[in-house]
This record gives sequence, C-alpha cells and structure tokens, in this order.
Amino acid sequence: MRGILIGLGILLLAAAIGFGYWYYRNEKPEIHIRGIIGSEKSSFLENDRVKTILKKKYGIVVDYVRAGSIEMVNEEAKTGTDFLWPSSQVALEIFKLKQGDKIVRSENIFNSPIVIYSWDIVVDALLKTGIVKKEMSTYYIIDMPGLLKMIREGKKWSDIGLTQLYGKITVTTTDPTRSNSGIMFAGLVAIVLKGGDVVVEADLPQVLPEVKEFFARQGFMQSTSGVLFEQFLKTGVGQYPLMGGYESQSIEFSRMHPDFWPKVKNQIKTLYPVPTVWSEHPMIILNKKATLLIDALKDEEIQKIAWEEHGFRTGLMGVQNDPKILQVDGIPASVTKIVPMPRASVMVNIIEALADAK
Amino acid sequence: MRVSGLLAAIFILLSLNSCKKHPREFLILSGSENGPLEKIVDEFARKNNVLVKFKYEGSVDIMLELQKNASKYDAVWPASGIWITLGDRERKVKYAQSIMTSPVVFGIRKSLALQLGLTGKDVKVGEILKAIREKKLRFIMTSASQSNSGASAYIGFLYALLGNPEYITEADLEKPELKKGITDLLAGINRSSGSSAWLKDLFLKGGYDAMVNYESLMIEANQELTRQGKEPLYLVYPVDGLVIADSQLGYIDNGDVKKEVFFKELQAYLLSEPIQHQLMQMGRRTGFAGELKNAPVEVFNPDWGIDPQKILSPIKLPRAEVVLKALNLYQTMFRKPSLTFFCLDFSGSMTGGNSDLVKKAMELLLDQDKAGKYFLQSSPADITFVIPFAGTIIDAWQVEGNKQPEMVDLLKKIRETTTDGTTDIYSPVILALEQSAMVDSTKFIPAIILMTDGESNTGKNYADLETAWKNNRRDVPVFLIKFGDASDAQLAQIARLTNGAVFDGRKDLVGAFRKVKGYN
Repeated sequence: MRGILIGLGILLLAAAIGFGYWYYRNEKPEIHIRGIIGSEKSSFLENDRVKTILKKKYGIVVDYVRAGSIEMVNEEAKTGTDFLWPSSQVALEIFKLKQGDKIVRSENIFNSPIVIYSWDIVVDALLKTGIVKKEMSTYYIIDMPGLLKMIREGKKWSDIGLTQLYGKITVTTTDPTRSNSGIMFAGLVAIVLKGGDVVVEADLPQVLPEVKEFFARQGFMQSTSGVLFEQFLKTGVGQYPLMGGYESQSIEFSRMHPDFWPKVKNQIKTLYPVPTVWSEHPMIILNKKATLLIDALKDEEIQKIAWEEHGFRTGLMGVQNDPKILQVDGIPASVTKIVPMPRASVMVNIIEALADAK
Repeated sequence: MRVSGLLAAIFILLSLNSCKKHPREFLILSGSENGPLEKIVDEFARKNNVLVKFKYEGSVDIMLELQKNASKYDAVWPASGIWITLGDRERKVKYAQSIMTSPVVFGIRKSLALQLGLTGKDVKVGEILKAIREKKLRFIMTSASQSNSGASAYIGFLYALLGNPEYITEADLEKPELKKGITDLLAGINRSSGSSAWLKDLFLKGGYDAMVNYESLMIEANQELTRQGKEPLYLVYPVDGLVIADSQLGYIDNGDVKKEVFFKELQAYLLSEPIQHQLMQMGRRTGFAGELKNAPVEVFNPDWGIDPQKILSPIKLPRAEVVLKALNLYQTMFRKPSLTFFCLDFSGSMTGGNSDLVKKAMELLLDQDKAGKYFLQSSPADITFVIPFAGTIIDAWQVEGNKQPEMVDLLKKIRETTTDGTTDIYSPVILALEQSAMVDSTKFIPAIILMTDGESNTGKNYADLETAWKNNRRDVPVFLIKFGDASDAQLAQIARLTNGAVFDGRKDLVGAFRKVKGYN
C-alpha cells in the first residue's frame, strides 16, 4: 500500500513538472534570432536582466556566435544568419560595399569612444609634459600630435621621468588586421597625423608610413581587445604603460569584479584623446523577422543596463548617460570632441597596407 | 498494472540518470610548469564529477598541437598566451585568461653571482653575456624551439645583442654580427631540456652553476636546495631582456556545452581569492596591476634576489612572424650544436611493426623537410652517429652537418638494415660514450638515444656501462625510446645513471622525439 502511495506521489510530481514545463514554454510566443556579434558585446547579451527583458517583453531569444567585426562582414552572409552586430561603422560600410543588397535594416545601437588606459604614475608624468590635461575629473590627451611625436622620435619612458619603466614610449593596441579596436586606433592615428581632420584617399601617401611604423613598433600584438585589457590589468604598468581600448571596458570590468575594482580604481586612469573616434555598434538586420531586435535593444531599460553595467553609451539621439552612477572615476557625461572615422574604402586601404607590412 | 508499468518507466529513467554519475573527462594541454597545480584543479574537478587529465608539453609543442589537433583537447594552458595566438588557427580558443604570471630569470649560485658582481643592482643581458664569454658562467636552459622559458630568454638575448632596438625585424635576424653573438652566448649552455620543470629537476641533481627558468620554478628549486642545506640560487632579472610568462588558460570550443560550463567554473575557481593566494604561496605571481601584495618573504625571498615591490618592465615580443623565424634560426643556426648518437635495435624481435616505427622515426629526423615542420632540423655544425645493433654492433655511420644528400644516404642505410638475432643494448651505448670522448664536448651538447624493444640478453651488462660512463666523466645523457616489451627496469636504470629519461615510442613518436631532441 505504502509503495503504491509513493508511486502515485512520484507520478503526480512528474505530471506537475510536466505541466509546469509546458506552461513555462507557452508563456509567450518565442522567436529565436541568430546572429554574429563582436566579442565585446557577449557579456551584455549574457546578462540575465537583458535576457529576461528580451524574452518576457519582446519574446526574443538571441543565439549568437562571436567573430571579429571585419571578419564577419567580409564573409558571405549565410541564410541562417538573421543579423550581424559588428563594433564599427566601418564594418557596416564594408558590408554595404560588398553585400549591401542583403540589408533589411541597419541602425546604430551603442557607442563607445576609443580611449587610452594608463596608470597613475604614467599619467602624472604625462601631465607634467603637458600632453595630458585634467578637466573636472577627466583626463584628456590634449596633445595627441605631441604624443605621436615622442613615439616617432623614440623617446624613452625615462626621458619623461619614469626611470622605473624599461624601453621606449608606445601605446599598445590590438592587431589592426584582426581586431576592431586596433582598426579604430589605426584610424585615429591617421586622423591625428592629418591634423585632427577627416582622412581621405589622397592623404594616404602622407600618413601611411607613420601609421605602419606606429604598429610595427609594438611588436607582437594581441588579437582581441578583451584579452589585452585583462592583461593590462593583470601585469600592470611595467608591461602596459599605455593601452588603447574602448571606454566601455573599464565600466564593464568594475561591475563584473566589484570586490576587486576598489583596490585598483585609483591606479587605473582613462585618458580621452582629443579628438577621438566612436566605436559604433550598428545592428545589421538580414532577415525581416529580426527587425524586432532593433526595437527591443532600444528599450529604455536595456539601454540603461547597457550603460550602467557594460559601459555602452546609447546610440540614441537626445539620451544622456549619467556617469555618477558608475564606479569608475573620470568618465565624462558626454564625449564631444569626436572626428568621424575615415571612410570604409580608406580604412580598407590602411588595413591592407598594415597586413602587407607584416 | 498500468501504475506498475509507469513505476518501472520512472525507475528506468532514474537509473539512466545515475549513469551520468560516471565522471566526464576533461583534457588540458598544459605547460610542464603547471605540474604542481594539477592537484588544485583535480580537487575542484572531483567535486564536480569531472576527471581532469593534463597532457604536458613544451609551449612550442602546444602551439603545434593546437594547429593540428585542437579537437582532441578541452582546454589549453601554455606558459604564455603568445602560443595560443600562434597556434589557434581555427579560432577555437575562447575565454583565455591569465591565471598567474612569472618572469623568466637567470638563477645563479649565490656565491658565484656575488663573485660576478651580479647582485643587488640592475643587471643588463650584456653583463651576463660577458661572464659567459669569459667562461666564468655556464648555464642550463630549455630549448628555445620547444619551451617558452627557453624561447623567452632567447628573445631577450636577441634584443640585447641587437643593441636593444625598439622591435626586431626579420632582416635583423640575418645580421652576421648577431649570429656570432648569439652562438657565443648559447655555447655557454651545458645542458638543455624540452621542459622547464624537467630542467629544474636536472638542476637539483647537482653539478650546475646556473639556469634560465621561471621565477616560480627558481623558488621551488631554492626551497628544495634550502631543505638539502645547499646554496640557493640568486635570481637575476635582466632589465633589458625581461619576459613575463602570463600563463593563459583558454577553453577549446568543440561544441560541448557541459564542458564549456565546467571550464568557466574551473577558471573562476582558479581566479578566486583563496586559490590566488594559494598560488602566490607556491611562488606564482597573482593579483592585479602586476603588484605582489603581502607576498610571503619565505617564498619571494629577498635573500634570493627577489623584490616583490619592484615594477617588472618587460621587453616587447616581436611580431608573430619574427618569433617563428627566430625559432627556426635557433634550431638550424644559433643553438649549440648537437652531438647525437642513435643506437637502433635491429634484433629479431623488432621485425615488422617496431622496426618500421624506428625507420619512420629516423626519417622524421633526418629528412630535413619533415623535421622542419616540428622544429627538429639539424644544423650545419651538428654531428650525427647511427649505430645499428642486435646481439652485436652491426655498423656505425657518421654524418657531419645537415646536407640533404648525406642525410638521405644515411636514411637509405638505415632502411636497408634487416632485423635478426639477440639483443645487447649496452655495447652500442658504451661505443657511443667512447666516441663522444673523442669530440671536444664543450662545443657540443651530447646525447645518446637508444631505441629498443627488447630485454638485453647477451653481451655486455649494466655494470660495464656504469664503469664506462663513470670513466668518461662527461655529462652525456642516455635517452631511451622504448617499443614493445622493452625492459622498464633496465631502461630506467640507464636513465638514472646518466640523468636521461625514458619515453614510449609507440604512444607518440613525434612527441617522444621532440622531447628527446629538446635535451640536445
């Protein structure tokens, strides 16, 4: 008798679980949207709050694979791919040039400026040289030509008073032939060499040699911005006195490592080149059913999470990002001194020249 | 009836579920310096019902293995992330993160370091080079074409010898003055090895003045030396040639979601505060911003030349293409030449499969195109002896240099040798020792490689070999590659006597060769 009761109990439990699962599955009509994204957005898409809003409010489940921004737009887009989400406008333009007929809709979702990460002792030295200036709590590299000049002339760290650092002054970036942040930096270097102005095809003979030299000096380059930023934090000022990256990286890191961040936040400094360039995150929709994703990502709450937890500034007009909410010091409310990246055809020329230089 | 049927179904489901309790395997391709960390990983894995296995390789081998066989492994953990970048052609590696760091340094017997004036100050590579040129310092170092510590030190040497340019180009590597400088420097090496951990063990066997290795392994060595009441090593961090190993652990994505979840948990565990602290106790640098906060003085001991507060400012590694070219040049031009004796067993029991394996193995080494794929090429200054044997010595052939026609000719002779008769493994080794005595051993790194499948059952014996080895008074290791039923006891005895090692030729012949050649 007892055995039968237990058996019935198990049966009822199984039925309840089955019903619950059925109910759960049918809570909302669900569409799966598949796409390719730049790796810097994977933590955002993995964020449980983001996933929940996408699912509950919009009925969307996003499946994605990661790829480099340039890699994903150069490849022939497959039929099962509903969207591409690279991390620069340049990537979108390259896609337009090559496979533009496949675009259903495209819109910019996030922005993040290219910055240079550094350490307190290095920033102090750069302040003294006048290359960096502090305004309010933000550090700006007001003399980018001066910084490039020091690099070009082979000045050593010891020349600006940093005797504890070995070697010559450089800014470490990712490999521009493989990674978007490296490409953005290549564009920025070209812009500075052009006197802070828009770079066009005709400027290439003038700027290319020094852009090449800038990257050659770095030697071995990492291929992803995530790994480089993590190494920057791990090995410290000795290995990476200056490192090019996205503004979003330190904000995201501070939220993901709340126990550790307070220990280093006073040492790590974010420097804003003047001018700098935006890394934009345009969503390229290739399948009509995925257009809903653009609207969902523009959701106010999602945009708020994107800023507060992942450091992506909104791509929407008229929306402000409040830096006071962040754990990272020196983040300005807005970044205004921005120059547009060179056009895609120009960037393709630069990337190819850098690949040839290898 | 129906209820009992359902109960039976539930029972079956439950028992199916319990099948899952069988631990899953998770294979990590790792550098040998992570050996002491295996138990930490293992402890965590057991709690998660996962059986983690480590396959230890030199970092350059890890790169080669990633290029060819990434689907065989679940994670990769070389001494430095550069080998992941160079090896991960299919972009299968994800979530790579540095678990800890350790600089590659010179460890010199403290009294010798004091005598050479290399203590208590910033030392440049040039000063060490000077001591080596003046024959005041000899050291052991892993092979640069196999192991990260050797490669890192070698690249540091290249920078210093080129006058510390901002970066090295492929053209720089062709400069004749570089060739002279680097060959002089590498001539100071008296023993080599394919792995950093093995090199440390070799050092502890005694008789060496200095080694190039990770700070972490120097600390391990010093702890052991102190226990033995011996003089510790003094660590020298060359300011213009310092390289830091960042020990990146990455996941190899072969599409198994459960493994991916386990990997992330494992990585988070290794990066958790208590484990990071434990790693620091083991001489690994952990924490952030390159700072060693609260480093235990008995581990990061100032008496050994370690200053945890000092900022480590490493050199920039050259571009990937330049690194690979530098490794090839190391193997074919710059390294100290090898004097290698191959004693090949052609006794009756080798007939068929095993003798084919030996012939194939020799092809891999002697055919320079094939050897090049694995950084196993000979250099123009190498000397190669081949001694085929059975119950007696069949013949002895010698080739100087690396010219393809001579190598092909040697290979032909090996291929034409037939198998027959009994086995005497000692006579060929004794002959090799006698031959080695006729060569100026300071100019070569010597090694004897014995390939056999049988038990020695005729001719000379171990006592004869022991006498010959001791009379020779040279540090000539015998490496043993065994096939089939070879006697483990006999082979292990020879390895012990000569500071050699035993490898299994049937499991992974290329791997065994890469290891053996790493030692000379």
